[in-house]
Amino acid sequence: MSIIASEHLSKWYGQVSGLNDVTVQVPAGITGLLGPNGAGKSTFMKLITGQLRPSKGHVRVLGEPIWGNPALFQRIGFCPEQDAFYDSMTGRQWVSALAGLHGFDEATAADAAARAIEAVELTEAADRKIGSYSKGMRQRIKLAQAIAHQPELLILDEPLSGMDPLMRRRTVKQIKEWGRAGTSVLVSSHILHEIESMTSNIVLINNGRIVAEGDVHHIRDLIDEHPHTVSIRTTQAHAVARELLADEGVVSVRFDPGGLVVETARPDAFYARVTDLAASGRFGPIHEITSPDDNLQAVFRYLVKA
Amino acid sequence: MSGRPDLPAPPTFAAGAVRVFSLSLGEMLWSRRTVFLLLVTGAPVFLALVARIVQGSGVVPLRVNGAAVDGGAIFGMMIWIFFLRFIVPVLGVFYGTSLIADEVEDRTITYLFTRPIRRGAVLVGKYLAYVVCTTLVVLPSVVLVYFLLVPLGQVARTFTAFAADLGLLALGLAAYGALFALVGAALKRPLVSGLLFVFGWEQIALLVPGYAKRFTVAHYVQGLVPHAMPSDGVVQVLQSVLRDNPPAWACVLALAGVVAVSLWLGVRAVESREYVLDQ
Amino acid sequence: MPIHDQGYRRYAGRKRPIGTAWWVIARQQIRTVLSQKRYLALLLIAWMPFVGRVVQIYLAANFQQAAFLATSAQLFRSFLDQQGLFVFLLIVGASGAIADDRRANALQVYLSKPLTRVEYIAGKLFAPLVFVLSVTLLPALLLLVVHVAFAGSLTFVTQNLYLLPAILLYSVALALVGTFTMVALSSLSKSRRFTALTFTGLFFFTTAMYQALMRITGSRLWALISPRDILSAIGDSAFRMPGQRALPLWAALLGVTVIIGFSVLVLERRIRGVEVVK
Repeated sequence: MSIIASEHLSKWYGQVSGLNDVTVQVPAGITGLLGPNGAGKSTFMKLITGQLRPSKGHVRVLGEPIWGNPALFQRIGFCPEQDAFYDSMTGRQWVSALAGLHGFDEATAADAAARAIEAVELTEAADRKIGSYSKGMRQRIKLAQAIAHQPELLILDEPLSGMDPLMRRRTVKQIKEWGRAGTSVLVSSHILHEIESMTSNIVLINNGRIVAEGDVHHIRDLIDEHPHTVSIRTTQAHAVARELLADEGVVSVRFDPGGLVVETARPDAFYARVTDLAASGRFGPIHEITSPDDNLQAVFRYLVKA
Repeated sequence: MSGRPDLPAPPTFAAGAVRVFSLSLGEMLWSRRTVFLLLVTGAPVFLALVARIVQGSGVVPLRVNGAAVDGGAIFGMMIWIFFLRFIVPVLGVFYGTSLIADEVEDRTITYLFTRPIRRGAVLVGKYLAYVVCTTLVVLPSVVLVYFLLVPLGQVARTFTAFAADLGLLALGLAAYGALFALVGAALKRPLVSGLLFVFGWEQIALLVPGYAKRFTVAHYVQGLVPHAMPSDGVVQVLQSVLRDNPPAWACVLALAGVVAVSLWLGVRAVESREYVLDQ
Repeated sequence: MPIHDQGYRRYAGRKRPIGTAWWVIARQQIRTVLSQKRYLALLLIAWMPFVGRVVQIYLAANFQQAAFLATSAQLFRSFLDQQGLFVFLLIVGASGAIADDRRANALQVYLSKPLTRVEYIAGKLFAPLVFVLSVTLLPALLLLVVHVAFAGSLTFVTQNLYLLPAILLYSVALALVGTFTMVALSSLSKSRRFTALTFTGLFFFTTAMYQALMRITGSRLWALISPRDILSAIGDSAFRMPGQRALPLWAALLGVTVIIGFSVLVLERRIRGVEVVK
């Protein structure tokens, strides 16, 4: 079942189109929402969190329409992008107060807040005013308010922004744990390798339209006009190259130190061929076979920047 | 987040409003804005203190426009000049238009609008916090002014009027606050609209004979005042001449109606409007 | 060499002299204001009373029947008082001068440039000052020129030489008090709305306070708490208006100095690159 489903969803601000005829199904699990600046990610986020009303089309979250349906937020946690807080409150007070808006009594809200603050490793600073927090701490307290009521769906808009590298790794790990525990997560980010480390399921958006959705590897396979690049580490690069050039699907071969780089339009057949070559041992050991562009960055580059 | 607990049912409208009220009251009471509120409500107290000292010195009898007046009359004038004509409407504009606008400007509205409570409950909760905050500051100021100006011997005689003053000021704060909460929720430039209403429309409507004055809040608030209206300027003289005093029950009903209708419309406005935050 | 270095190169051109950075801020403020239609409309409407006065001067100079409209010091004084509403609106429009920068955390950015706090404040003050003087000093001086043009002689000016310094003093006092107060208030908040309301409140409230205290105590010295009445006293003295003045000129000028001095003190405390949160 899709946790988020939109059908012909469009949003315009006066003459400017923010989102254009977006039909997408976001499955359960962790999904990355990617796109360059101005692509429509924020507009999409605002539409699925009920902050904006669609100009056209529909959007359903957890099977229900979100606009004008505040009860649905009992099951959703949202971490917005903006760096905005009640600076005079402590982190604990703030998270407790917001947890209280979910119907918890004071004691339960305080417990929920304490657990959430511990999950984001801010317990030591919880009783300091938010105004004195660093950027990374502010980001973490924002996450805490989103998870305090243990929602089914977490919508995170640039959650890693402002965090140091160690904290980023820990947060990515935390997000994966939430995913494993059954919480669905939609993460919007510019940082491709971090999205990649969280999930292979992406929605790619550009110019207000969905460019691609699904597993990043599957998407890569479908990009016909960009042959796959495969890097082969071997001591007999020239011999291997002569052998591979005979294949129909091979588009080009070039040599680099320690091996060769092949471009092929038929990756599946090619991998099978290379495996046979390696197993035969005719060209000496083949130390390594990698695909530098079977990744999110390549997909992003090919689809967005083309 | 394993072992997800049973979540409570989303709060009802009233329960949501109460929770927002708790969240907002602390923020409102301890904000810098309250310093402004204290300065404004402290000024009449200062004036009353000066008047008391002058009266107590016995050197120069207390006069207003050449005529000697007692403390009770001065208290009545101050209710008119400071509280009714300035403090109550300005606080209504100041706080009422900011209830939602401040959260939008600070970009914290997202946290409130992505909770399982109706947006209207957010508005009502913040409005209740405004009423409590302003009455907690304004009414004690009035009490201090009263006891500074009115000699103890006259307290028993004037206490009913004093109680009426407290009630009408609270009602005035509630009515203006609700009206400007609606203005703040519905309009893009609520501050200018609010000031134009208070210092423009209300002043003109009170001068014009006929039904125009019934479309002001001031008409009903002033209808409850037990003191004579001071004539401290041409406009005020004209207003006192053209004034018609509706019965107290009609004034209370009208003000309650203003509160109810304004809040209802404000709730509708907030629930249907999109708030696009500055990036 | 055939292949040129595409790397970073230091700017080697002319730079503005040190101490002129305030003009960059002022220029940006002016451009921002002039790009907004509502302010352009306000500035245009603010010149309508000038047009009315020009007609008045023309009629008085050319028609015997309109002799009662003859030019006098009162004309200039009442013209400047009439402009009070536009001055108020223009100054309220400057409520975001520093508040907006504080909200956007831009103070740190500004003060990390080769820009002193004095230059920053001067830049912020300049735009509202210019706009206020453009609807007070400039049209008032032009009215004098218009009178000379229609009357065909300098008689009025030579007989009333004090008018030139009077117009200058009153306009500049009005502009300085309003601008300094507003910019100082703006530095106290991150909300332009709060600043505008506070300024409006103080403006009206201090007047009411003065009136009440004057009636209670019989002393006009309480005018010192009301900037509006201080400025009125300056106008009365400068234009040699008959009748009782709230304050003597020296006291009014002292009051203006205190207001501006206090504003400078507030600005000095508030314009910092860092804010300590306890």
